[in-house]
Amino acid sequence: MRFSALLRKELRECLPWMLLAAIAFLALGGFFLRAKAYYEGDRLYSRLSPGTIVDHYQLTFYPTLNFTGPWFFCLSIGLGLVLGIRQFWIPHFTRTWPFLLHRSISRKSILAAKLSAALIACVISMGSVWVGLYWYANRPEVFPIPQTVRVFIEGWIFIMLGLVVYLGTALSGLSTANWYTTKIFGLVFATFIIVTTLSQWTLVGIFAVIAVSVAVLLVQIFDTFLRREY
Amino acid sequence: MKLKISLKQIATPTKIFMTLLIVLLAVSILQGIILQIERTFAHAKQRPSTTKPEAELTEEEKRIDRIRNSAKYFLADGTIHLVHKPRRTPTRIDEPEIAQIYDANDNLLWEGPDNRRPYRYLSWAMQLRRYSFTRERMKQMQMLTPGFSRNIEIPVSSYNKTEQIWRYYPGAEYFKGYNTNGEKIGYIGSTGFTDSKLKAKPFGKFGFFTAWCPQDSVSPTLLWQTQRHIYQIDFEKQNVEMIFESADSDIEIERTSLHAWRDLKPGAEGSSDPKKYRPLLICGTEDGKYHLILREPRQQLNLDVPHPSVTATKKNIFVRNYWGDVMPPADIAGSRELFDKWMEERRGKPRNLWIELYKVDNQGGLELLNRYDWTVPEPSMAVVKARDPRPAVKRYVSQISPPFYDYVLRLFGRKFWSRALNYQNRGDFFYSLARMVLDIQPYGGVINRVLSALMMIFVFLHGWPRRASWPKFVFWLVFVGLFNLAGLLTYLGLNHIAVIRCPVCGRRRGLAQVDCVRCQAELPAPEKGKLDLIFRT
Repeated sequence: MRFSALLRKELRECLPWMLLAAIAFLALGGFFLRAKAYYEGDRLYSRLSPGTIVDHYQLTFYPTLNFTGPWFFCLSIGLGLVLGIRQFWIPHFTRTWPFLLHRSISRKSILAAKLSAALIACVISMGSVWVGLYWYANRPEVFPIPQTVRVFIEGWIFIMLGLVVYLGTALSGLSTANWYTTKIFGLVFATFIIVTTLSQWTLVGIFAVIAVSVAVLLVQIFDTFLRREY
Repeated sequence: MKLKISLKQIATPTKIFMTLLIVLLAVSILQGIILQIERTFAHAKQRPSTTKPEAELTEEEKRIDRIRNSAKYFLADGTIHLVHKPRRTPTRIDEPEIAQIYDANDNLLWEGPDNRRPYRYLSWAMQLRRYSFTRERMKQMQMLTPGFSRNIEIPVSSYNKTEQIWRYYPGAEYFKGYNTNGEKIGYIGSTGFTDSKLKAKPFGKFGFFTAWCPQDSVSPTLLWQTQRHIYQIDFEKQNVEMIFESADSDIEIERTSLHAWRDLKPGAEGSSDPKKYRPLLICGTEDGKYHLILREPRQQLNLDVPHPSVTATKKNIFVRNYWGDVMPPADIAGSRELFDKWMEERRGKPRNLWIELYKVDNQGGLELLNRYDWTVPEPSMAVVKARDPRPAVKRYVSQISPPFYDYVLRLFGRKFWSRALNYQNRGDFFYSLARMVLDIQPYGGVINRVLSALMMIFVFLHGWPRRASWPKFVFWLVFVGLFNLAGLLTYLGLNHIAVIRCPVCGRRRGLAQVDCVRCQAELPAPEKGKLDLIFRT
């Protein structure tokens, strides 16, 4: 009961950012998808000449959803960053950590509530819009050639990268070191993970990198949060 | 409490891992920046040529230089011609390119504009690097980007309007086709077209493909090479033809060549005269064999020549072999010691080169038709005899690299690394990482080891009053010894321990534990009204 109350409190704090990210993604994603659908006929016009060698770039294509990708990627990362700042940096700036921690509930539960709220926020705001856009792009009357399942999975990888950034921000926020020493290492590590993920070509490799990074960050977040003096 | 203890046991190594990773990356970036700056300045200073100016050459030197720079062409009867193109006047771009054609005895046969040559030489099968889509590109295509990963989609068109799209699925290793009205057509796999997913057979591990539109179509035909097979896929006719199968050995990815194979319009890049030449495909397998596949009529031959160039006219099949004593014999190439000895023996001596033309019989046997030999002087190059043969700046920059790299490289052995650095693995994350490590490894440099030792001494002096336990103290010493600068920075980053003067023995001690590391005295309780123990002392 106490946990659910805490979770509701954290979700309430995340709500504006959740809504903002979801609306921005829906608006931008929807706009670009509609624009892409409008020009789909142009894509189906063949530019190949008879009796010539075909350059490979003429046969490799980004998926139809690719224009929504950069926005999706940036919004996921941005949402993770904002939620991390909201939950772990703002209480430090406003000196409100003691108000949260004095309750008769373990620190573990407080942290679990924060992490669960962030997870739910990312999944609901970005995930639901992504599912909607993917469903829309798969309607034959919009785009005759269906999207691959891999694109759908890659969208969820963007959401996971947002969570990695959230965890990195949380770790940086909890660190008691000076900003010019190891305090920002959580964020630097998250950046490193994003770059490493973007250099993988197998989904197994991507999931392995994300799983290791989440484990490394979570362990340190729990350890720091449970031991730190506020 | 239990959770805290077990968490701490896991959290400390993960913190060290994370910090070390970041610091190693930072050190590598720093090294990369230094090397890039050096490369930029070195490139700017580089002189255009170290050879003598043309005016200072003797007549004999000019002749040798001309022969070396001449293209060696064969006529269909086996005659060799040396085609030399003198340098144009730098300011006269408009003047036509002049060709001088010499015979094997160095007699000038013809001189004039290059595009009006009176002879028609044999053209040869070309490797498909330029227009082929390799395994490395396939990996790059599947890489996750902010715009998602890409797909290979082959359009089947009629009058410039795409009617079908065949998409390649790298996981399933087959193509799936769709109509442009959204209906699924079927699958194309190694056994051909099928309308059922269950019946679709995978092509196999992708090697490379090249595509062209035949003269009567705007739909591409693909030559698709996998680990053991080469297929030709006609999407318009939904037809798959297996061109070659290697039962015993993998096909080398970038060794496949084509000549007159593709039905290209006359004059188009890559086209050959179909009236003169037979369609030909040659591929190499990893067991060192070369396989020649011919059409009109169909024929398959095995060739036992290293790196052959091949062509087939309507009358004969020819093999051209360009070789010299610049490459060691096969028995020497396998041994590092023999190779070094061989290199030492031939250093400073002129190089002998030759080109041979063979006629191939119906069993793949070779008959030598012509051979041309020439000699070129050994270029004067500085000999680096150091253990680390890399340029000086790289040697110095790598002195701050972790000795750990050396140990890892030595631990796994040369076989492991040559396998990991095989060109077929290009595009893999591990391949790039291994390349980077090889580039900046310290190579057992003395300065590197001295630096590591100095850093260990620093850590010893820094950590001695702060030590909380012997294993931890020894761990950090070894750690810094292994990782050099990155290890030292990690140590400093994770060991912020305040030091005070012990109230009992008066010597410096850390506050990581209650007992003084020197006299084992506990920290005294603060005096009444004086809460701050540190400032008091």
